[in-house]
Amino acid sequence: MTVTVEGRADRRTDPAGRSPRRPQPPRQGRNRLWIWLFLTPTVVLYGVYTIYPVLASYWYSFVEWNGFDEAKHWVGLANYRAVLADPLFWNSFKITVLFMVAVVPVKVLFTLLLALVLNSPKLPMRTLFRTAFFLPVVTTTAIVGIVMQFVFDPASGPVNVVLRKLGLVADGINFLGDPKTALWTVVGVYIWKWFGVTLIYWLAALQTVPDEVYEAAAIDGAGPWGLLRHVTLPLLKPFAVIITLLTLESTLKVFDLMLTMTNGGPFYATEVVEIYIYRWAFAATVPELGFASAAAVIFGLFVGLIGVLQLLGIRAARKARGTA
Amino acid sequence: MISRRRFFGASAGGVIGALAAAACSTAPGGGGGGQAAGAKTLRVWDHFQPREDLHKKLFADFQKSSGTVVQYTVYNPNQQGQALQLAFGSKQLPDVFTTAGVKLPQPRLRKDGWIAPIELSKEDLSAMPADAFLNGFTHFDGKLYSLPMVNYRQYGTLTWYNVELAEKAGLDPDRDLATWDGFRAAAAKIKSAGGDGISGWIAPLQFAQRLGEHVSDLAMAAGGVGATDPRTGAFSYGTDPYVHAIDFLGALKKDGLIFPASSSLDARTARARWSTGVAGLFFDGPWNIGVIKDQFKAFVDKVGVASVPSSEAGRPVVLYAPPKAGDYCAAATSKEPELVAKLLKIFTTEEVMLAETEQMDGMPVDLALVNKANVHPTYKKAAELFGRQIRLRPAPEVRNPGVSEVVAEMKQVEPDLGGIVQGVLSGQLPDARKALSEYDRKLTAERARAIKAVAAKGVKVSESDWVFGNWTPGEDYGHDKYKTS
Repeated sequence: MTVTVEGRADRRTDPAGRSPRRPQPPRQGRNRLWIWLFLTPTVVLYGVYTIYPVLASYWYSFVEWNGFDEAKHWVGLANYRAVLADPLFWNSFKITVLFMVAVVPVKVLFTLLLALVLNSPKLPMRTLFRTAFFLPVVTTTAIVGIVMQFVFDPASGPVNVVLRKLGLVADGINFLGDPKTALWTVVGVYIWKWFGVTLIYWLAALQTVPDEVYEAAAIDGAGPWGLLRHVTLPLLKPFAVIITLLTLESTLKVFDLMLTMTNGGPFYATEVVEIYIYRWAFAATVPELGFASAAAVIFGLFVGLIGVLQLLGIRAARKARGTA
Repeated sequence: MISRRRFFGASAGGVIGALAAAACSTAPGGGGGGQAAGAKTLRVWDHFQPREDLHKKLFADFQKSSGTVVQYTVYNPNQQGQALQLAFGSKQLPDVFTTAGVKLPQPRLRKDGWIAPIELSKEDLSAMPADAFLNGFTHFDGKLYSLPMVNYRQYGTLTWYNVELAEKAGLDPDRDLATWDGFRAAAAKIKSAGGDGISGWIAPLQFAQRLGEHVSDLAMAAGGVGATDPRTGAFSYGTDPYVHAIDFLGALKKDGLIFPASSSLDARTARARWSTGVAGLFFDGPWNIGVIKDQFKAFVDKVGVASVPSSEAGRPVVLYAPPKAGDYCAAATSKEPELVAKLLKIFTTEEVMLAETEQMDGMPVDLALVNKANVHPTYKKAAELFGRQIRLRPAPEVRNPGVSEVVAEMKQVEPDLGGIVQGVLSGQLPDARKALSEYDRKLTAERARAIKAVAAKGVKVSESDWVFGNWTPGEDYGHDKYKTS
C-alpha cells in the first residue's frame, strides 16, 4: 500500500520536487482546443450513428415493440428465447456460415495466386491489370446486384444465351430462382465483386518481402518454385492469418448484394442473418423490432467472436514476425 | 497576408457554419419553389401511382385557390409503410397520408395517436355512395377517420392476356380462359404458337404477398370462403380449395409454361416484362391497365382481360371481400386540421371522382362511375366482373371493435401463405396440404394467444367473434345482417 502511494508520489514530482502540474503555455492550450474542435464531428457522428444504434438495439432486444406504437413492453429474455427457437433463424445462420465457408478459401487462395502473378516485374501492363481487378470493388453493390439479375436471367441473360448457343443447355438455367443454384451464384458474384480488396492485401504483403532475400536465395540456386516455396510463402504466413480473418469477417456483411440479387429467396434458400433481421424489423406484416434486435444482438456476438479470433490471429502473426 | 493558422481557423469556422446551415435545411423539398413567405404547407403521401399527375394538378389548383403549399410524394406501397413508421417515430407524419404498408388496423392507429377525425360533414360527403362508409372502418364514434378512394369490390387476380399472342394461338379468351384447365391449355397453346422465348404465363413469384393474394382468389374461385370460414371462425388455408389452387399453379410450372425469370420478379417488374410480349397471360388487378397506359403506352392496344378462372366448368365465380377502411387519413399531429379537411373535400365531388376513375387505378367507390368515365374497355369489363362476382363478407371488427386489438396483437406467422406457395413452386415444400394445415394450426394458436393478451387488458373478445351463423355462401353480408348475427 505504502509502496503504491510512494510510487504515485514519485510520479507526481520531478527530481527537483516541483509539481508537474505547471500551467500550460497558451499555445499548447490552443492546440488542444483545435484538436477537440476537429475531433468533435467524428466523436458526435460516431456516437450518434454507431454507438447509439448499437446500445439502442440492446435495449430494444428486451422489449416488445412494433415500431408503430409509442409503448414498449419489457419482456426480458423472451425475444432471445423466441429467436433461438425459430428454425428460420437457424436456417439463416446456417446459410451465413455456409456462405462464409464457401467464399473465404476460394477468395484467399485465388487472390494470392493472382497477386503472385501481378507482383512479377516481368508482367507487362500489370498496373492496368491491377486496376481492372479492383474496378468491381468501387462499383455500388446494389447496382451490381440488380445488373446481375439481368446477367443471370434465365430467359434473356447473356450467361444463358451463351450456354444455349454452345449447346450446353436446352433451356435457360434459373440461376437465382432455383434453390440449388441461387446461393452459389451469389457466392460467385460476391467473390468477383470483392476480389480486388483481398488482392490488394496480398500485393501489399508481397511488398514486405525484401529483394535481398530473393537475391540470396537465387545465388544459392533456388529456382522460381523454390523461391515461392521456401521464401515467399513462409514470409507471407503471418499476413495469411490476418487476410483470412479480414475476409472471414467481411463475408458476414453481404446484405445489399443478397437483397438485390435474391431477396433471401427462393423460399429462404439464400436468407442470411442480415436479411432475416431486416425482414422482421421492416418487411414483416407488423414489424417486430424487439425480436429483430434480439436476432441482431445474437448475430453481433457471433461477429464479435470472429473479431476476437482476428485479434488473436494478429497477435499470433506479430509473434511469428518477431515484433511482439 | 493571412497566416496559415488563421486560414485553417477561418476554414474550420466556415465548414462548421456550412454544416450547421445544411443541418437546418434537411426538410424534404418538393413543391416549395417560389412559395410566398409565411405560406402554410400541407404534406401529402400516398401510393396512387397512376393518379399522380391528376393529384399534382388538383393540389396545384388548391395551392392557387387557398395559398396553401402542398408537398406531394407518391410512394411505392412496399416502402411507404417503412417511411410512415420512421415518420411517426420522429413525430413527422405528413398531414395527409394513405396507410399502405402499415398493417395495423385503423382503430389501433387511432388509439395510438396516428390519425385524427377529418372535419367533413355529411353534406360534404353526399356525392359519395353511402355504402362506402361503415362504422369501425371509415368512421369511429360517428366521426370520419379515413376517406375511401377505392372500392372493396375488386380483386387482384384478373386474367390479363396479350391479344396478339392469344389470336396467334387461336384462343377465344372468354371461353378458353374461364377455367383452370382452360387456362393451362391456353398457356400451352400460346407457348407453342408464340415461338422461341415466349411463355404461357408470367408471375411475380418473388412477391410473396401478391402470390398469396392470387392463391386466395383462385381458392375462392374453387369454392373457398377466404382465410377464415365465417360459419365456424376457423382458419381454412388447409382446405381443398387452397390446396387445389396451389396444385394448379404447380401444374403450370411442371408443364414449363411459366416465364423462366418469374422467380426474380415482383408485381411491377413482372408487369414490365409482360408488356414486352414475352408471355401471354398475367394475373393482376384492375390498376394494370392504368399503369400500362402510363408507362407502357405502346402496349395498351394489345391488352385484354378476363375473369379469374374458375376451378371447373359450370362453377360460378364468387369471391368474398370484407368491407374496407378508407384510404386518406389525417395525421393526429397535423397543425392544420381545417386545411386538411378542405384539401380532402376535393376528392368528394363527383367531378373529381370521375377524373380519378379515368386514371384507371383501383376501382372507384362508386362503381357506376366507370360506365360514365372515359376508360379503356378492359377497365369497364373489370368493373362489370367485380359487380357480378364479388360478395361482401362479414367482418368481425364491425360487431366487436375489440377484434381490431387482437389483429394488431397477432404476430406474423412464417412461412405465410405466399411463402408456402413460393416453397411449393420452388420444390422446397413437397406437401402443400401439410404446410397449409401447419399454417392454420400456428395461426389458430397465435390468435388464441393474442385474444388472451388483449383480454388481460380488459377487452372483451373471444374466438366466437369470428363466427357468423347467419352467413350464407354466395350472398352479400349487408349491414343489416350484423343485427341478427
